[in-house]
Amino acid sequence: MTTTLSAPPQPTRVPRPWDARTQRPAGNRVVKGVIKHAVLLCVLLIMLYPLLWMVGASFRPGNQTFAGLSLFSDTYTLQNYADGWSVGNLNFSRYFVNSAIITIGQIVGNLVACSLTAYAFARLEFPFKRVLFGMVIATMLLPQHVTLIPKYIIFNQMGWVDTYLPLTVPHFFAVDAFFIFLMVQFIRTLPKSLDESARIDGCGHWGIFWRIIMPMSLPAIGTTAMFTFVWAWNDLLGPLLYLPSSDLWTVSLGLNSFLDQTGQSTYGTLFAMATLSLAPIVGFFIASQRLLVEGIATTGLK
Amino acid sequence: MTLATATEPPVALPTAPRRGRGRTQLLPALAFLTPWLVGMVLFTFGPMLYSLYLSFTRYDLLSNPEWVGLQNYALMGSDPRFWKSVGVTLTYVVVFVPLLQVVSMLVALLLNSRLRFLTGYRALFYLPSLMGASVAVAALWRQVFGADGLVNAVLGLVGIENVGSWVGDPARALGTIITLNLWAFGSTMIIFLAGLRQVPRELLEAAEVDGASKIRRFFSITLPMMTPLVFFNVLMGTINAFQSFTGAYVVSGGSGGPVDSTLFYTLYLYERGFTQLQMGYASAMAWVLLIVLAVVTGIFFRSSRYWVHYGDES
Amino acid sequence: MTKPRFRRLLPGAALVLGVALTSTACLNQGPAASSDGQGEVGGTIQVAWWGGESRNAKTNAVIEQFNEDFPEVTTETQSADYAQYFNRLNVQASSRSLPCVVQMQDRQVNDYVKRQTLQPLDDMVASGAIDTSKIPPAVLDGGRGSDGKLYFIPYGIAWDALMVNTTLAEEAGVGAPPESWDWDQFVSYVSQAKDGLPDGTYAVAAGGEEQNAFYAWAVGQGIEVFNAEGQLGFTKEQLKEYWSLWLDLQEQGIALPPDMSAEEPPGADQGYLATGQLMVGVLPGNSLYVSQQTLDGRDGGELQAARYPDGPAGIGNILVASGFGISSNCDNVPTSAAFIDFFTNDVDAQVAFAADNGAPTNTEVLDALTAEDSELPDLKRDELEQYRAISEDNPPKVNYPPGFNAVFQQAFTRNYNEVAFGRLTLDQAVDSFFNETNASLG
Repeated sequence: MTTTLSAPPQPTRVPRPWDARTQRPAGNRVVKGVIKHAVLLCVLLIMLYPLLWMVGASFRPGNQTFAGLSLFSDTYTLQNYADGWSVGNLNFSRYFVNSAIITIGQIVGNLVACSLTAYAFARLEFPFKRVLFGMVIATMLLPQHVTLIPKYIIFNQMGWVDTYLPLTVPHFFAVDAFFIFLMVQFIRTLPKSLDESARIDGCGHWGIFWRIIMPMSLPAIGTTAMFTFVWAWNDLLGPLLYLPSSDLWTVSLGLNSFLDQTGQSTYGTLFAMATLSLAPIVGFFIASQRLLVEGIATTGLK
Repeated sequence: MTLATATEPPVALPTAPRRGRGRTQLLPALAFLTPWLVGMVLFTFGPMLYSLYLSFTRYDLLSNPEWVGLQNYALMGSDPRFWKSVGVTLTYVVVFVPLLQVVSMLVALLLNSRLRFLTGYRALFYLPSLMGASVAVAALWRQVFGADGLVNAVLGLVGIENVGSWVGDPARALGTIITLNLWAFGSTMIIFLAGLRQVPRELLEAAEVDGASKIRRFFSITLPMMTPLVFFNVLMGTINAFQSFTGAYVVSGGSGGPVDSTLFYTLYLYERGFTQLQMGYASAMAWVLLIVLAVVTGIFFRSSRYWVHYGDES
Repeated sequence: MTKPRFRRLLPGAALVLGVALTSTACLNQGPAASSDGQGEVGGTIQVAWWGGESRNAKTNAVIEQFNEDFPEVTTETQSADYAQYFNRLNVQASSRSLPCVVQMQDRQVNDYVKRQTLQPLDDMVASGAIDTSKIPPAVLDGGRGSDGKLYFIPYGIAWDALMVNTTLAEEAGVGAPPESWDWDQFVSYVSQAKDGLPDGTYAVAAGGEEQNAFYAWAVGQGIEVFNAEGQLGFTKEQLKEYWSLWLDLQEQGIALPPDMSAEEPPGADQGYLATGQLMVGVLPGNSLYVSQQTLDGRDGGELQAARYPDGPAGIGNILVASGFGISSNCDNVPTSAAFIDFFTNDVDAQVAFAADNGAPTNTEVLDALTAEDSELPDLKRDELEQYRAISEDNPPKVNYPPGFNAVFQQAFTRNYNEVAFGRLTLDQAVDSFFNETNASLG
């Protein structure tokens, strides 16, 4: 059906790799598996040490936060979590809600706008395509810091400062060229013959986009959603400029307020809230990972 | 597609010649591109052009920009810290980009195999990149690479003492930033992982039946099928490395220290623009970087026709 | 057929660019007419300050009291960490959308004075809208710009000082520092302590990279750090002498080595003094209490503030003033003035604020906070008593020129460390420092 899959007619029952493995002695396989897991766990332990240490430190009393390299301590307390959660006039839950609003806005915006744009660049022929695609790439080449001022001036003129709008609305207009490029590259790995056969079945461009390309691009969609989540969740500069009022603060601004180079910092509460702030991202990752894993299997390339 | 080594050359189905369709798809293209075009005009193009204008001015944010022609560009040549930042950035790009690609690909391959608890492993390997620019990272990195950090504690166990600080030593500080950014390899890995998922299992199985080794299968099937994403990762990795900012900003507290040893190009640009209030100079630096990156990107795209294989080409 | 379509985009792009250009152009209309701050108090004001969570809580408590006194006023608040506070302020200034009430420090106020971003407050003081009668005149001068006008009302004074871990000093056999001393006595004090200190503990911080310690040294010798033109007022030879003093101390292992100093976390509560690895630190006075809290967590000893060594010209401790000013784009000056007046002078409010950003300038507040029945912790009270002693000694004032905050501190630290790490000679580093700073000052 496709160019890539039109390889030799396959035997009715392909011997799968794991079939072959079952024929080996079972003991050997178990040993191999154990070694593999042991290696992975060792690597992970080293890699995750800083994070584990942070979690450990978040349960120590405030004045012993940096008591040493050990992951454990003599006394454990939940005080940092209680203090951190009830920060300021509000509490940290408000920051979570604010971050969630912005993050969801950006994800929806990026998914809709970038996939539409990417389809055009990957599948359609139109004049100045190369020039326009060059512009997509060019927007990624300029360090964002020098466009902060003109952007701020524009949003200020529009009266958008101190609202969520500057952080969400632009994403509905595909300003994140990274994801356009990612999706273009992804869609271009898909055989074009898929489109052709859909066209023969009477699909228009919208039909091809929606029924063929999008379901086939689930891994790219999952990746886009995941990255957007992480970037939006961790972004500091955007909220700092556009959300000065503390009732609009995001998690990243809230975390930042635990450090004060001119006064009192509370690293214990910082670590506690930083630990909590990882939870939504990890949850989202595990949820969206199904897209990555099942993408190809459920759509069935056969 | 170059799958010829493992399988018989696939018989290309006759598809319409590329330009043979004779007409462009302008109207549908416009429909699909409208959001992007609007965004480009409203939010992207104007600010970019404005920053280009600023690069020819003296602009301290607090008063009006003042036209100075090419002065900012001329000053760069004789600015020793500018050249320091170029040196730091180039070193970083050359070391970091290849390392990142290899590590990400290796872990992606490992996590694409059949293994128990795979979901858990993937999440755990991805975890560090979730920390992002968090202010906590600076403290954590000191915990590992400080004078009394984990690394020195381990070295002490094997009898190597008095190593001193890693983050605080100008000869080693850049290494700790490279490690920090490598630590967050998760996002590059995820893209590779998504690409690996796209490789049809049937092809690999067929190759295995033909007796191709694992390594052979990787280089003859998996890698060629993934070249669009490899291309994406290498290009974006390079662009991001040239613009690397956050890691060094957080760890050095914005100074690029100790003594400018982690003064990345964009870090210096930021210091000039926002701390020293010389936004004109910062804008000029940004446009110099844009031109350099445009050349680099151009070379990448030029070369891509020799090694990147798209599924939409016959 | 397609070309015109593409061209149609260009006017749009040009339009946006035009809007961006003209919007900045017409924003800069110079300073607002000077106001005496009299008028109806009401409506909305924005108040911005730097600080972390603990200062935010205290400031919000003051604002709540203000709103009880003035229920018709809505107060919007903006806060961020010191560095980010000023980054945001500059961005807001670029589109003339600064908050009405902005926190300032004498170290960078002239950057804003030079660009007419702040309103002079003299007329508001004269009209009685802002009462400064309880602030000693020399302290109030901290809020003046280089043109002599008043641009912010100092409410808190940080005084830079030495912090001594007396427990470590006893252990090292040198005992507590004397009431006053000169630089030779100070050097021999830390040198003698070196051998008696435990491994991994240093006698003194890397003072060569600390601009404040340099002022103390320079001012004590009667050197004007900045001259009337806003350029460096000291000579290369003088800087060399100061840096050599510290390079020697570092070489002998008495002062903290440069790599450890480079990785020292910002903020007093995790610095080496707070972790018990340092006997004498160079810190602002309001960090005494904070450092002691961390030190208590590890039984690290007792801290005590000490005076900087005196020079031939007298005391070297300089004062750093912080306070609130009013931006030129503010359209609610009477309310802003009322807020500043309240924040600086309301005794109950300032007692609630608990001298979080330095010692209170208002003498009534200072008396209330140091009174017998004050709820301030003892160390915090010591801090205020120290301030009282220093301020009565008529401490010198440093006039920071525009551009100071942007370059001086960073260039000072970096160029000193270039020598400490052995990457530049002393002469090269001093030359490089002079070139860098003089190019950006004034």
